[in-house]
Amino acid sequence: NKMLSSEMWIHILAIALFCCGSADSRKVRGISSSYKRFYREKKSFLCIDGSKLIPFEQVNDDYCDCADGSDEPGTSACPHGRFYCTNLGFRPHYIPSSRVNDGICDCCDASDEYNSHARCQNTCWNLGQRERAYVEGQMRTLDEGLRLKQQLIEEGVLLWREKQAQLRELQQVAEDLQIKLEEHRRKKREADRFKEQTLRALKGGDGGKSFHLKNKTLGGILICLFCNPYSISLDEVKAEVVPVHDEERHLGDDEAMVLTTTESAKTNRTLTCVLAHLLNTNKKFTVQGIKKVSFCWVLICDLQKKLAIDYGTDWEFLFLNGQCYKLKVYEYMYTLCPFNHITQKSTAGTEVSLGLWGMWAEPAKNRYNQMIYENGEPCWQGGSRSTTVTLTCGTETALRSVKEPSKCQYIMDFQTPVACQPVLKQRGVHSEL
Amino acid sequence: ITRVKINELKPLKPRYEVPDVLIRDPPTEPLSVLSQDESGVVLSLGAESQRVIVSVRPFRLDIMEGHDVLMSLNSRGLLAFEHLRMRKDTGAQYTLVVFDFQATKEEEEKAEEGMWEETFKSHSDSKPNGPSSISLDFSFPGVEHVYGIPEHADDLKLKTTDNGDPYRLFNLDVFQYELYNPMALYGAVPVMLAHNAQRTTGIFWLNAAETWVDISSNTAGKTVFGKMLDYVQGSSEIPQTDVRWISESGIIDVFIMLGPTPKHVFSQYASLTGTQSFPPLASLGYHQCRWNYNDQEDVRSVDAGFDEYDIPYDFIWLDIEHTDGKRYFTWDPHKFATPKEMLQGLLDKKRKMVAIVDPHIKIDSNYKIHNEIRSRGFYVKNKDGGDYEGWCWPGNAGYPDFTRADMRAWWASMFAYDQYEGSMENLYTWNDMNEPSVFNGPEVTMHKDAVHGDWENRDVHNIYGLYVQMATAEGLVQRSGGVERPFVLTRAFFAGSQRYGAVWTGDNAAEWDHLKISIPMCLSLGLVGISFCGADVGGFFKSPTPELLVRWYQTGAYQPFFRAHAHLDTPRREPWLFGPENTALIREAIRQRYTFLPYWYQQFYHAYRTGEPVMRPLWVEYTQDPATFAVDDEFLIGQNLLVHPVTEEGARGVTAYLPGKEEVWFDIHTFQKHNGAQNLYIPVTMSSIPVFQRGGSIIPRKMRVRRSSSCMEHDPYTLYAALNARGVAEGELYMDDGHTFNYEKKEFIHRRLSFSNNVLSSVNLVPDSHFTTNSWIERIVLIGSSKPAKVTLKTADGIESQLEFDFDASMSVVTVRKPGMNAGADWTVTLE
Repeated sequence: NKMLSSEMWIHILAIALFCCGSADSRKVRGISSSYKRFYREKKSFLCIDGSKLIPFEQVNDDYCDCADGSDEPGTSACPHGRFYCTNLGFRPHYIPSSRVNDGICDCCDASDEYNSHARCQNTCWNLGQRERAYVEGQMRTLDEGLRLKQQLIEEGVLLWREKQAQLRELQQVAEDLQIKLEEHRRKKREADRFKEQTLRALKGGDGGKSFHLKNKTLGGILICLFCNPYSISLDEVKAEVVPVHDEERHLGDDEAMVLTTTESAKTNRTLTCVLAHLLNTNKKFTVQGIKKVSFCWVLICDLQKKLAIDYGTDWEFLFLNGQCYKLKVYEYMYTLCPFNHITQKSTAGTEVSLGLWGMWAEPAKNRYNQMIYENGEPCWQGGSRSTTVTLTCGTETALRSVKEPSKCQYIMDFQTPVACQPVLKQRGVHSEL
Repeated sequence: ITRVKINELKPLKPRYEVPDVLIRDPPTEPLSVLSQDESGVVLSLGAESQRVIVSVRPFRLDIMEGHDVLMSLNSRGLLAFEHLRMRKDTGAQYTLVVFDFQATKEEEEKAEEGMWEETFKSHSDSKPNGPSSISLDFSFPGVEHVYGIPEHADDLKLKTTDNGDPYRLFNLDVFQYELYNPMALYGAVPVMLAHNAQRTTGIFWLNAAETWVDISSNTAGKTVFGKMLDYVQGSSEIPQTDVRWISESGIIDVFIMLGPTPKHVFSQYASLTGTQSFPPLASLGYHQCRWNYNDQEDVRSVDAGFDEYDIPYDFIWLDIEHTDGKRYFTWDPHKFATPKEMLQGLLDKKRKMVAIVDPHIKIDSNYKIHNEIRSRGFYVKNKDGGDYEGWCWPGNAGYPDFTRADMRAWWASMFAYDQYEGSMENLYTWNDMNEPSVFNGPEVTMHKDAVHGDWENRDVHNIYGLYVQMATAEGLVQRSGGVERPFVLTRAFFAGSQRYGAVWTGDNAAEWDHLKISIPMCLSLGLVGISFCGADVGGFFKSPTPELLVRWYQTGAYQPFFRAHAHLDTPRREPWLFGPENTALIREAIRQRYTFLPYWYQQFYHAYRTGEPVMRPLWVEYTQDPATFAVDDEFLIGQNLLVHPVTEEGARGVTAYLPGKEEVWFDIHTFQKHNGAQNLYIPVTMSSIPVFQRGGSIIPRKMRVRRSSSCMEHDPYTLYAALNARGVAEGELYMDDGHTFNYEKKEFIHRRLSFSNNVLSSVNLVPDSHFTTNSWIERIVLIGSSKPAKVTLKTADGIESQLEFDFDASMSVVTVRKPGMNAGADWTVTLE
């Protein structure tokens, strides 16, 4: 950083020398040094867009001759002109011509108000110092942020591998269980078929209902149950399984299948049915066995869902999943749980969802810059609450601000080292003096 | 002007006569009796050959000029006067005084249901004075077009009401109002204009009670073919429009304005109720509003957005959420903790703010305003004598009795900088909900039996809103020691409200029809004196498509009060939120507005002087051209700009009627010339705003559009002189400090600009005026001119100099380069 600022000082010095060296030619107000070549004093001036040739006296004479505004860089005469603030000691920049002599100080060197009532002070030096201090601070933050990010990336990679291994392991367990389950089922079905055949033989009727879903596995049923968005938590499974044990009810395969494939598949009741069915049809499958298989699937689904999320090129955002960050704004407490949900809790205690994890927004610049949370609590006039979270570079991971610019549309500023980008380092006080 | 006033000779108790609307007691002239017999009397009306025939049985008045009847009163015998009476069914002593103009025999009063009590939904109206309504009919022979009686979301030309409800005048807070409907809205101006190719007349029915107006016409049902058949068959039936006015209480007090031209009617009406207040120049700029800008940071970032996207604006607005719990005159302690800092930030950019102050006061013993009003007994009372309470934004609220002068004086004093904490000189006021709106009241307004001193709300209802704005405007004047002009926007209004500020058309919606209706709604208001009118740009309810939003900006940029506003539940819609193309289109519309500010300002000065509307229907200028009589999809600004905004979705073109056989009109963008008295098809793109400058006019503009109007104060002028067929053009240039009352002391520059015989000159219209300016003339654009050999400027001291110029042969436009004289000076520019 020191290097950077000292480099800049040399730059400024060089410019200062250059200025003094060319002081003999008439100064054309409002242009940058790179445009000086267009304004060499001659008899006439060619508008920069080449559209018109005018006498040189008409440059900056407070009347707009060129359609591109190039003849009046130093006055407010042209509607689309621009004025160059040199701002020695700070950042030079262009302002619209309409801000020249409008009574408002725009350039910190006061050069835009050379003929107005505004008493502008040259504040460039102070601004420059503040800017440099700020940029230095930013640089330190960035350095520190990038260092922390690297750590988090490393941790992320490890975490990712760990989760993947966990998944594979679980899948293996589940598969094993499923094979066993299949086996039991097959035996049961054979027994049933035998029973049915026997019955048919006895009744002499036709086949009755067909068994159209026989190729679906019970595992499938469970996936169906657990991986839908209203999935039942493990606790619920446990709670359901116990009463089921004593239930006398017996369901046919079709019935259970049909239930699982309909809308009501989303209710606990179906799960109860399926489990009841399992229990009743496989006496050897104890409650423990069911718990195990469903628990596996819960974990698998959970993991799969978790791992399906895009955590950045180096899984650097993975560590955020499972964390929550809070911020109090006026009377509300906001909680952001990245990749999960956002809530708002009033002092009165009512909690409102401001959105569930949706996706990364895709602005052109940075893929991992904004998160979208959607489908929160419905709004009074239709639609539902949603939140856009903008990630900014910082040494700490924290929620920095929450706003609701329009009803039910929230924006959050979330600071974290993993949002630090090395490109930022390219910017800074590169003075174009 | 003829005033007809009918009251009971000896009413049981006084009947309400509306005070504070007339700017003075109108001077009277004695009428001379021209002839008299037992059936009536003929009186001379002074001017011209006008006279009034008073017939006794049946009673009627006919106002004549020469052999023509201009207007008849009670020709249909609909005069009715429910005299005050004692309640019979309570056994009180009963005396009956009946005077019936139709028949002399005394009619036995029949007790009817609803005479002494009425119910509406769950509300009851105690009607302690019993029935008290009045009615009178008017006939306009030879008239097919009547206008006015705002506020209604309806066409400019009033419709007959034979098959439905009459037009209703009763100030109401209407939720999501319907269009093309005679239902009552937020304001009421009981003034109607009748027009035909020969004459314009007007009726001002001075009554503040609920009023209904029925309109019928003997030609309304006829098709064009039917009318033609009449003509061919020599049917001699003269078209006639009959109207009937009914008010619930008060007296009959009618002013009959006989014109003969629209401008005469405007000045006659202005002589009664005053003219449009002359607004601060900045208030003619663009206003950025939303319910709500959430906090100071929000205000700062929206303000910064305008600079970032290089869009000018003058005022940013704060709706009810800025207050501490809807306690007006206060600020939310968290969101607006340092209002002066915020206002200073705006002031630094020469911008201003408007904060809302509504007339419902939260009942809260910790709220200073409430405590003071209660302790002074300033609240409106309920029928039982207690403070009237109703439900509004703050919850339970009281309503200050603005009909009381002492209450208004106190209210005004609350705007003093030391009373209204956090206020500064660039903070102005918005009065909303002043119908008044009472969420739990009948029709969302105050109970008619609520008591304002000696009167019921029934009597004063429609004037309440006027008083709120009057007191508020007075407060803003007083806080500056009488120096600064106020700016107050109101939603409710009455005859005379033009004296206190601006109005808007209330809670409209983001729909194309609402954009369209903004034109007739503001035109109707302009006709009855209220020039400073606008509609929420973008529409209040719902969310506009980008196309609708752009078109609305383009329309609003050419309407008097130019403010974008949006409902709390709608997504953000600041001008830069719809992509760069739409941002550019909106920026351009707003920039056009700013270039025309000198013209707008001059028009408002003219309205202030004459009572003529700024935004006016075509027929006001082209009185004899029936093709203009029902036009309300285009309008004039002053005499010289004709605007036909694009108000159709997906429009590829519009057909504008260019009035005037003698006129030529120039497209302000291309300078293309079009002849008058034709329907012109104009192809449009998204950037098109069809606007035409009348040939024969000179319009001063400021082409250096800056961040706000104040930033443009010292900027030079460009004069756009559009020549008519005779090569002549005229215009005015008005300027002053833009914000004080010093113009009343003639501290202004008012010049006549005229071009004839190839000489453009500037002469002082008011030689004893005194004001100096730094502004100069930077450019003269002569539209429709031939190419001169040379252009010479001669200044007051006799010095001549040659001016450079360009000539565009394709459009015949001479652009004189940088003549440079001071805008307040005498000069001539000669083309040779």
